[in-house]
Amino acid sequence: MAEVELDCMGEACPVPLIKAEKALEKMAIGDILIVQIDHSCAMKNVPEWARKEGHNVELDEVDDGEWEVVIEKMK
Amino acid sequence: MRDSQAEGATIQRSSRTRAKKKKKNQLPQTALLLAAVAVVGILLSRTSAVLAVFWITGTAFGFILQRSRFCFTASMRDPSLTGSTSVTRAVLIAFALTSLGFWAIKYGAHLNGQPIPGQSYVVPISLATAIGAFMFGIGMVIAGGCASGTLMRVGEGFLMQVLSLVFFIIGSLWGAHDFGWWKLHFVLEGKAVFLPDVFGWIGAIIVQMLIIACFFVAAKKWEDRKKEA
Repeated sequence: MAEVELDCMGEACPVPLIKAEKALEKMAIGDILIVQIDHSCAMKNVPEWARKEGHNVELDEVDDGEWEVVIEKMK
Repeated sequence: MRDSQAEGATIQRSSRTRAKKKKKNQLPQTALLLAAVAVVGILLSRTSAVLAVFWITGTAFGFILQRSRFCFTASMRDPSLTGSTSVTRAVLIAFALTSLGFWAIKYGAHLNGQPIPGQSYVVPISLATAIGAFMFGIGMVIAGGCASGTLMRVGEGFLMQVLSLVFFIIGSLWGAHDFGWWKLHFVLEGKAVFLPDVFGWIGAIIVQMLIIACFFVAAKKWEDRKKEA
């Protein structure tokens, strides 16, 4: 079970989502993708998108204004 | 988005997790900021009551914008990017509410025989409107936010958008500087339409609401389209 970290610090809104989408495509089911973001908008739309795709999602605020979206690929 | 963490079992991940910083208690700062907002409000009201009202509504608007993550950019971008229309529908609801509110203000003034407020904002529409809107749309997606969204994220401390803000100001000033020419040569070519003149007061609000409702239903169908496939 691989775990991939994706650094999206300083990337504005749609970029983290697109990067997460690309990264997730290459991964196997059960792998975990950790998207690191500091853009409040991505904090909302990355989890929403991943959940709608049917993956397990967790959101961690690791620091003030910095989040980690943990996505477990389900399909 | 706090509730989202609560669902189901936690995901197993390796021990490389970053040490979580303890949440600081920010209540003192909040109290201080609120006091500062009040003091500025009082000082402004001494010069002009309108300024104080602007200050308070502006502050409230910024707060709501930040907490709700309301984003006009996302409302236009997400339907094609992710197929999600939740923000789009939120914007449509906002449009419906403001339409109703402005309609009530204008109709009220009309009934009382007063001059209708805000009529100077009924401006001609033409192809220039569509071209301008298209350019603005491209710009806001690249800049990562529309006007209000950029201001909000600068306030949050997102440095990249300070750059957006700088060029947003330059662009606005440039636009304002040349607007007279554009108005004379392009804007006035179009025709100004005030819906109540066309459909009557009651008809105008019904037509407006029906159009918004159609967009809402279309947005919902667009979001559900992927689930069925």
